Amino acid sequence: MLFPTLGFLLFFLIVAAAMAVLGTRFAAKKTVLVVASYYFYAQWDWRFCLLLAGSSALSYIAGQLIDRASDERRARTILGIAVALHLGLLGIFKYFDFFISSANQLARLLGLEHEVPFIEILLPVGISFFTFHGISYITDVYRRDVAVCRNPLDMLLYMSFFPQLVAGPIVRAAYFLPQLVRPSTEPIPIGPALLLILSGLFKKVVIANYLATGLVDPVFSAPTSYGGPDLLLATYGYAVQIFCDFSAYSDMAIALAALLGFRFPANFNQPYRAQRLREFWQRWHISLSTWLRDYLYKPLGGNRHGRWKTYRNLFLTMLLGGLWHGAAWKFIAWGALHGGGLAVERVLEPWIGRRALSPAAKIVATLIVFHFVCLAWIFFRAEDFAVASLFIGGLASGWGDGVQQAGPFVVALIVLGLAGQFTPDALFDRAALAFARVPSWGLGAMAGVVVALINALGPEGVAPFIYFRF
Amino acid sequence: MVALERELREPISPPPSTITADAIPLALRRRGASARQVLALTFVGVLTLALFASRDLPSWVGGLGSGPVVDRAQALATQWDDRMASLGLTRPHDALRALIRRLLDAQW
Repeated sequence: MLFPTLGFLLFFLIVAAAMAVLGTRFAAKKTVLVVASYYFYAQWDWRFCLLLAGSSALSYIAGQLIDRASDERRARTILGIAVALHLGLLGIFKYFDFFISSANQLARLLGLEHEVPFIEILLPVGISFFTFHGISYITDVYRRDVAVCRNPLDMLLYMSFFPQLVAGPIVRAAYFLPQLVRPSTEPIPIGPALLLILSGLFKKVVIANYLATGLVDPVFSAPTSYGGPDLLLATYGYAVQIFCDFSAYSDMAIALAALLGFRFPANFNQPYRAQRLREFWQRWHISLSTWLRDYLYKPLGGNRHGRWKTYRNLFLTMLLGGLWHGAAWKFIAWGALHGGGLAVERVLEPWIGRRALSPAAKIVATLIVFHFVCLAWIFFRAEDFAVASLFIGGLASGWGDGVQQAGPFVVALIVLGLAGQFTPDALFDRAALAFARVPSWGLGAMAGVVVALINALGPEGVAPFIYFRF
Repeated sequence: MVALERELREPISPPPSTITADAIPLALRRRGASARQVLALTFVGVLTLALFASRDLPSWVGGLGSGPVVDRAQALATQWDDRMASLGLTRPHDALRALIRRLLDAQW
């Protein structure tokens, strides 16, 4: 069930009606949200619900055991076992066939004839996200950053809450569980929520969909058929497409949670305006980058054990961050590029870090970071390593042929997508405050008209969100 | 008393300074609505969408699944679209689709 569909709209209408009818009965509201979330998840495959429930049960029991542990060593052992079980589930469902395939390739290289068979298991949607939720919870309980969750209903809702279930943002236990203890007394921020939904719909339905079908998909599927200009524009196009696709999902998830009375963390903040790669990661998929920082980079030692170990930790963190995105070497290469880039940036820190940049230098720095990120996106998007190599090789040739695939419309969408990275924050705030002054029925009518216009502007049918496959 | 006999574990790490900032900042959360107003907004939104996006309504209904109920709903959606077309409410949709087709066909 995708957000921009009639099915989801009707589903949300029923959930909103239940929230309105239940009023101040918070436990009943949470029960409805758990049932709705499992129904939402079952729309992909009902068997996935068993996995989600199992993962929730594991987190809940591990949290209780860690809390009751008589000493530090015991608590650490329980944490280790629970994290290993979570990662084991992820490994079986997401990485098993990848590891088998890699082992078989290695065996062939070594001249061994025996091949391990694949299990061809179906990848449960959103498994990477809810696994990270579970690990976040038990680690936070161990670190005493969050009180242990005594109410199983709260744990079920934390793990399954439908706005973030299949593609994030990754919501920390320490952030979300306190919201389940007592109902929010704040009014529902209807203006900003609606603005996020409408802008998210436009980014997904118009910008991301047309860039995918009109430029990125055809060029990336046959890069040798195109010259340098098309390949370069397809690279920029993918940079804009993946931002518009993923940030649209996050925006809508944040807004839906807000309409149901819950707060979510920010996940994107105009990432392509970053002047440093480190800054890019403070603006892109913030909930993942902070998760990796707090649950992987810091436990590895962070920057506390000298320069070389800092570089190693940065590299390893991003490498595993790449692997989190998918079971393929191309994602590992993407992570390695970012890890290497962050390490090199750290090496250059004494020269580039201490000076205030002139306006011209800021532009140059932004361009360098953007193009580095685009280079890494080629590995992320290409079918495999070989296609990525052909693509990068092709960027240096065929510049006399002109543009074949990228028409004025898709180029305008790229420009629009990039221009959106440089709009002032105050613009959103002013629009959201203006929305908040309109009565709810007026907002509903306006939203209906705008959604109808966005629907008319977009292609027929909605492609799945890119991050669903992670 | 049993609790006192247990060795209390020290916090392993300081609490995270900033887990992450709220996506909707406090300044924008001061004005808002109730759950009933959210329901009203959603309901009015759905009705308005049904008026102005009736062209795609049959295919959206088809996307809900298959079976006699969906078939019947799809037939109703088609009738509804004909009714909206006779009232002229599908004109903005058709004009925008035609504009997009022209933009997509444009060449350098």
